[in-house]
Amino acid sequence: METMQASNSVSVVVCAAENLQPGQRKIAVVDGVEIAILNVDGELYAFRNRCPHQGVEMIYGTVSGTMLPSDPGEYIYGCDNQIVSCPLHGWEFDMKTGKSLFSSKVSVGNYEIQEIDGSIVLKVKREPKSVSLKNFRCSH
Amino acid sequence: METVLKENEVNQKVEKGLIDCDVHPYLADFNELIPYLEEGIQKHMNIGRFEKSMLSNMNAGAFTFPKARYANPNHVLRLDAITPEGGVPGSDPVFTAQDLLDKHQHTYGILNIGHGTMAGYHNVEIAAGYTSGSNDWLYDRWVLSDPRFKMTMSVTPVAPDLAIEEIKRIGHKPGIVGINLQCINIPLGKRHFWPLYEIAQEYNLPIVLHPDCEGTAEYAPPNAVGPASTYAEWHTSLSLIAQRQIASLVCEGVFEKFPNLKFNFIEYGFSWLPSLMWRLDKNWKALRSEMPWVKKLPSEYIRSNVRLGTQPIEESFHPKDIVQLIQMVKAEDMLLFASDYPHWDGDERDSAFLHFPDDLKQKIFYDNAKNSYRL
Ligand code: FES
Repeated sequence: METMQASNSVSVVVCAAENLQPGQRKIAVVDGVEIAILNVDGELYAFRNRCPHQGVEMIYGTVSGTMLPSDPGEYIYGCDNQIVSCPLHGWEFDMKTGKSLFSSKVSVGNYEIQEIDGSIVLKVKREPKSVSLKNFRCSH
Repeated sequence: METVLKENEVNQKVEKGLIDCDVHPYLADFNELIPYLEEGIQKHMNIGRFEKSMLSNMNAGAFTFPKARYANPNHVLRLDAITPEGGVPGSDPVFTAQDLLDKHQHTYGILNIGHGTMAGYHNVEIAAGYTSGSNDWLYDRWVLSDPRFKMTMSVTPVAPDLAIEEIKRIGHKPGIVGINLQCINIPLGKRHFWPLYEIAQEYNLPIVLHPDCEGTAEYAPPNAVGPASTYAEWHTSLSLIAQRQIASLVCEGVFEKFPNLKFNFIEYGFSWLPSLMWRLDKNWKALRSEMPWVKKLPSEYIRSNVRLGTQPIEESFHPKDIVQLIQMVKAEDMLLFASDYPHWDGDERDSAFLHFPDDLKQKIFYDNAKNSYRL
């Protein structure tokens, strides 16, 4: 994996874009920190692989939409494919911001990620000493 | 050892005012009620001039109250409250005023009718007619007898349309400070009750729930898991009802829909509150999409809209621990003093709150009730 230093963040190439097709997921381990990386219908998302609640692996979480805040008795579905929920208790997080839906103070911690010249590129704060990919049971 | 009494020493109470959220008035005689009941209701109930008491033991003819299934083996009414004439405790407004209001310097005593089981009676027309009559009786005989007496008005929970009619009929009266609803087999959060809540909020009257119908009225389920065997088991389990009802109110979004409506749960105690709050908060974080109308922590709604009578106060192993428990869940503004006079399980304010700090006592004895009843 390569890294590139920009102004206040470092770019880390996680894998070739062809290895992260829509519907696929990866875990990158950057200096021991696991980062879940998802391609959802062509949109890329990256966030900490540990749920802030009791620490289980977010890579196994379901991606879906959710019920938007509504009046009593009303179900309004929205944010399709923008929400990941924890595989244990089901806390929901907005994958764009990392924030939980029940409190903006609780976040899974998200990262900037994009496809650049055929590579999946993750932005991290400092130059990492080690970067690798971690295997997981893929059931999604 | 010698005890020296200081002359002119008066027991200085720091708190200002006392609102007692649970005082029970009783009929000295069922016939007191007859003038307040419409003829058709009397006829249907076989009371008043239509009384047929023959074969009453055979369950024929005579009307009988839906009775509590659990009989207290000792006494359900405190024996020190028997009236000077030997009458039923709580049946004489003048004596109750002396024995309770004067003695403990009450500002107000809020009357919750002592025969609330009729509100959940199987025949809704009779339930509505009876509650109307008993409301008028209570107002005339008690509220008008002493300005310190206030009352909750009974309505039947079985038919909200009839309950609304009753609120429109008398809900504006100044002595009425809340609506006494009863527990039936429809959880309080359900739409069934929403029209009733709308008018309650409009009249600025809190909904009051007090044990009467639980396990007694035909529509009321026995405590959660099935019938108890003893009075003690039944009485202890009453607190489950409040927990279940509050969960329903929160999850159905009642506090979102009626943000200014208070629900005062009287006589269910309160030490279970941390458990309820923590469990609901935890589940909401995980399951909020099931109830997207619940927009903040359940505990926040509970704190703003639910009030709990302190009686029967739970007696922790170390008396001071109960205070910590209140602080733990920030329930200082939620608790309401209730003596439950003249019931056997009442609390005496001077001894039951011995370990409570003064500012908390002020809230429990006065401020919280003032802010949650229409007073
Ligand atoms: S561990 Fe993720 S919600 Fe509990």
